[in-house]
Amino acid sequence: MTIVKGLQSEIFVPITPPSVFTPVTKPLKDMVIALATAAGVHCKSDKRFNLAGDFTWRKIPDKTPSDDLMVSHGGYDNSDVNKDINCMFAIDRLHELAKKGFIKGCAPTHVGFMGGGGDVEKFTNETGPEIGEFLKSEGVDGVVMSAG
Amino acid sequence: MVQRAIEKAGIPTIIVAALPPVVRQTGTPRAVAPLVPMGANMGAPHNVEQQTQILTAALENLVGIQTPGKIVPLPYEYIAKI
Repeated sequence: MTIVKGLQSEIFVPITPPSVFTPVTKPLKDMVIALATAAGVHCKSDKRFNLAGDFTWRKIPDKTPSDDLMVSHGGYDNSDVNKDINCMFAIDRLHELAKKGFIKGCAPTHVGFMGGGGDVEKFTNETGPEIGEFLKSEGVDGVVMSAG
Repeated sequence: MVQRAIEKAGIPTIIVAALPPVVRQTGTPRAVAPLVPMGANMGAPHNVEQQTQILTAALENLVGIQTPGKIVPLPYEYIAKI
């Protein structure tokens, strides 16, 4: 095959980054699951996100009653999630599945941040790795995210 | 971006996405895509049955998906009345 280096498409072609993949090694019933959401979920007592763009993140203790959670996010229609936080952060459903033994348990702390753009560099190189290390230190076996 | 970072830290992840083309573009490791509007990714408000179906399917696909970047459509639908 002839390979010509340096050729470039004349039309815009999106570039998908190389894949990252950590295989699952346990069955669900042995996994501790954390939730991580880009929907701007946080405790009512916590600092709101800056709706104009915010790369900080919030810890959400597993024991927090879902009524004590709220959303601050400037990038989507919040009306459903204001009625029921489980629309984006299905914490009550996760507790029910843990109680049934479908999963081993819930992580002691879950994660909320405000996605939908912002400082992508910061999210990729600071916020993301920080959240990853934090969840790792909690002994989490798997993460269910809601975003996009 | 954050999903990829968590995955890089060594924890398997799955994302529940209302906009599957976006997560494909940003290089998701694993995703499920229910038929929902952005803002109710986990299901309709107060619809416990649907939220449970979506979360359960997400967890099953966390374990089930073997191919990096795979996005599995889910048959659960919620049309928001605006």
